[in-house]
Amino acid sequence: MISIQSLSMNAALLTDRERTLERIYAKTYPMVRHYVKENSGTDDDAKDIFQEALITYYEKVVYDQLTLTSSLSTYLMGICKNLWRQELDKRARKTWLSEAPIDEVGEEVIVDDEQPTATLMAFVEQLGETCRSLLVSFYYFGQRLEQIAEQHSYRSVRSATVQKFKCLERLRKAVSHLSINQFKL
Amino acid sequence: MRPLLNEVQLLEDYLKGTLPEEQQLDVAVRLLWDQELQQKLARQRLAYKALRLFGRRQLRAELEAIHTRLFG
Repeated sequence: MISIQSLSMNAALLTDRERTLERIYAKTYPMVRHYVKENSGTDDDAKDIFQEALITYYEKVVYDQLTLTSSLSTYLMGICKNLWRQELDKRARKTWLSEAPIDEVGEEVIVDDEQPTATLMAFVEQLGETCRSLLVSFYYFGQRLEQIAEQHSYRSVRSATVQKFKCLERLRKAVSHLSINQFKL
Repeated sequence: MRPLLNEVQLLEDYLKGTLPEEQQLDVAVRLLWDQELQQKLARQRLAYKALRLFGRRQLRAELEAIHTRLFG
């Protein structure tokens, strides 16, 4: 079952992201905040999980062509409740762990996966504004090339397409420094 | 398009699985022996990953701005 409302919401999300997100935010955040605060959380906790839920929703729309069968508020509220339950579990475990005696072997097993993430993002930063904005608009924000061509004043969709692949090729070249180090055996 | 760009596009379509069946198979077979192509594919995957991470961070920043506007 596909609701017309949900389809037009998805379209609006991609073509007019900022205003659409603001509308969703204004409508749903107060409910989430109420729920989290009723369940031993703070305003900041509510903000964090709500934003996480919105990001999940956005990515599902772009990558999986999600169409909702319930209202968006219900859907987002569902994600938030799950996230908040997980967070509470995590906190409970942490408290329990920090009280438990630590054996020497179990110490210092934290894997640092921050570094490659930061390095990868730095490659995108170094691309320059034109390429960066073109690639991120297309690949992450799911904007159509027609809209991108118009916003970036390309002569045609065709030239925006060529430019997109040029930029992607530049990024691919840039990350090769990382992939050589990462994939070295 | 230059041949190099064609190749970037080819790999993108291959990853999306949108090539005609025969061509899809062609690339899959080439990937079995062509180490250079394997590397290019791996790098292209990394490039997409980088864009996803970067985009996510930008979206998070946009949401923070909305939050501040609406709820201070």
